[in-house]
Amino acid sequence: MSVGVADPRPDPGPTAGEPTPAPRSRGRVLPPPVSGQELVLVGVIAVMWVILALATPAFATAGSIQPLLVSTAPIALVGVGMTIVIITGGIDVSVGAAIMVCSVITAKALVGHGLSLPVAVLLAVVTGAVLGAVNGILIAYGRVHAIIITFGTANLFLFLGLRIFGSSTVNGIPSTLAFFGRGTQGRTLGIPHAFLLTLAIGALAWWYLRHTAGGRHFYAVGGDANAARLAGVRVQRRVLLAYTVTGVLVGLASCFVIAQGTSTLDQSVGTGKELAVIAAVVIGGTSIMGGRGSVLGTLLGALLVQTVTSGVTQLGWNSQLSDLFVGVFIIVAVGADLLRARARRTA
Amino acid sequence: MSAAPAVTDTPAPAPDNGTDRRSAGARILRALLTQRIALLAVLIAVVVVTFFVMDSGGYLTAAYDFDYMSASLINAVPLAMLGLAELLVILSGRGGIDLSVGATVSLAGMVFGFMYGEWGWPLWIAIVLTALFGALLGAVNGFLVAYVGFPALIATLATYYAYKSLAIVVNDQQPISTPAIQRLFSLSRSVELPVIGAYIPNVPLGIFTFLLPTGVVVWLLLNRTAYGRRVYAIGTNDVAARWSGQPVRDSRFKVYVYAGLISGLVAVVTVAQFASARPDAGVSGSGMALPAITIAVLGGVAITGGIGRVAGVVLATLLVVWLNAGILLAFAGNEGSQYQLLALGSVLVFAALLNGLTTRRYGGAR
Repeated sequence: MSVGVADPRPDPGPTAGEPTPAPRSRGRVLPPPVSGQELVLVGVIAVMWVILALATPAFATAGSIQPLLVSTAPIALVGVGMTIVIITGGIDVSVGAAIMVCSVITAKALVGHGLSLPVAVLLAVVTGAVLGAVNGILIAYGRVHAIIITFGTANLFLFLGLRIFGSSTVNGIPSTLAFFGRGTQGRTLGIPHAFLLTLAIGALAWWYLRHTAGGRHFYAVGGDANAARLAGVRVQRRVLLAYTVTGVLVGLASCFVIAQGTSTLDQSVGTGKELAVIAAVVIGGTSIMGGRGSVLGTLLGALLVQTVTSGVTQLGWNSQLSDLFVGVFIIVAVGADLLRARARRTA
Repeated sequence: MSAAPAVTDTPAPAPDNGTDRRSAGARILRALLTQRIALLAVLIAVVVVTFFVMDSGGYLTAAYDFDYMSASLINAVPLAMLGLAELLVILSGRGGIDLSVGATVSLAGMVFGFMYGEWGWPLWIAIVLTALFGALLGAVNGFLVAYVGFPALIATLATYYAYKSLAIVVNDQQPISTPAIQRLFSLSRSVELPVIGAYIPNVPLGIFTFLLPTGVVVWLLLNRTAYGRRVYAIGTNDVAARWSGQPVRDSRFKVYVYAGLISGLVAVVTVAQFASARPDAGVSGSGMALPAITIAVLGGVAITGGIGRVAGVVLATLLVVWLNAGILLAFAGNEGSQYQLLALGSVLVFAALLNGLTTRRYGGAR
């Protein structure tokens, strides 16, 4: 929200901030359904897959692609929520800690009470929603900068999670959530359920953000919160909604995380996930300044990040190198965006 | 709605409605809310008295006395130095923040480990080169932010990833702890001060060799040089500073260089403290950047830039260090470290809400 004020330099791109929905009769208001950056990402991912397939024949097999898609799912899913948050001009660095809280609560309940699949998912989602709403209320009504508040709540969530953990691990988690897991139970027609669900939610969010008044309001809030308020957007409710939705998706992603793991959950769950998610969103072309971005880009960004991680491992390189590539991709993706914006300004 | 913090200039007194005819209570409240230094001093007193009382009541697992408080200051050295680095960066405005300081500490620490531990270079040369290497890493941030126009959050997130990865890869995930490095541990011992040393507890050496010089230099830089005033100017209003002919880009670039330089010095401190150059020194757990940013915000640095003081950062460090030291004694086992998270988080949320309230009611803290 306050990012706009903290940035007194010339507008990053005149064509960038989409205006609030204009009369429907003209179809020119919306940006094209697929942006240039997204096409480039598709190209980059395709090139990487071809190179990996040539370098290690094992890459182009179902046994390699399926785990890649499964492990993309949690990052991409939380990324959908993070995209909405960043579009409103905010940020949420507490998602990693929130994933930890949701997964430990769900795992403990699975072990202790033998929940069924729907109940377990509901529990995780409700927990996530509560955590997200805490962030949303503090940011929308406390009117403080999102990064500071979520740094603070990240610590609080971490504390909460560690207290619930009690001992160092949760052991003997039943395979109730195998529907989302890596095994054959987690696939339909060879495609992992976790990935399918992520795609479905991503598509829904893409449509909502693009084609409904409520969705466009998020862009309006991120573009200029004051102008949006004067135009009748309930800014605080939009902000609260953005963080709560992120919480809900964090809850669902926690179910994926539990399902992908072994029967043991340890305290490092969720560590560093917030940065991976933000990296995916940023590589996908969403502007950290707010007011611009798309869910499609985020899904591609998450796939790119996961391809890098898995590719580095499969090439037999030091797995820690993948972070270096992620850093370079962030610089290249955002740098290209900045140069395009500059070219538009001078043109 | 957040135009207020950016508009309010530091040297200008908060606009007052003429004569002050309010009750003493309201005036004290106002002073506490607008003078962050006063608030921090009160909070430190409250924390210390609370733990002294708990100590005398026998609720703590070990004595919380001046010796313990002094010994715990060893934790204040890296924390306060990185807090000062964040102070510089956040002051410069336009969303200035440095997420990469922890990763810089890791990478610069490994470089120091190679130079001093493996290649046996003289200590002072190794320290100077490590600081310069940190400055170089900071210059990458500064170039991306000031000259290319990256949002600071993104640029430093990317370099965080890159430096963290390089630090781990450069020695194949192994720490460097040769005998030379292990002997460095003496740098972090406590010493008795000359003259008055007999009457006060021993103080960790790092306070004098690293923290005090850094604090004094940063204070002089910000308050006694034209460059320092420019940092406040560009942080308060970037556009106005440019139109008044200030070298905005150059000033902003240098802020990140200085932050990197300080991180390089912290790398030396950290290596000495661990008696080992660890590849994950600055990024393990929640890392070093997060506590440093917390310290800066608690110390009254406005995240929107242009507002913040060295004294605030130093007092905020003392508050957090002594609070953490007390919490460690109040709980058995690793519960203490968990409650430290609770304390850090609550303090940060509290400080942020307070900054917002102060801005709305009084036009900003100083």
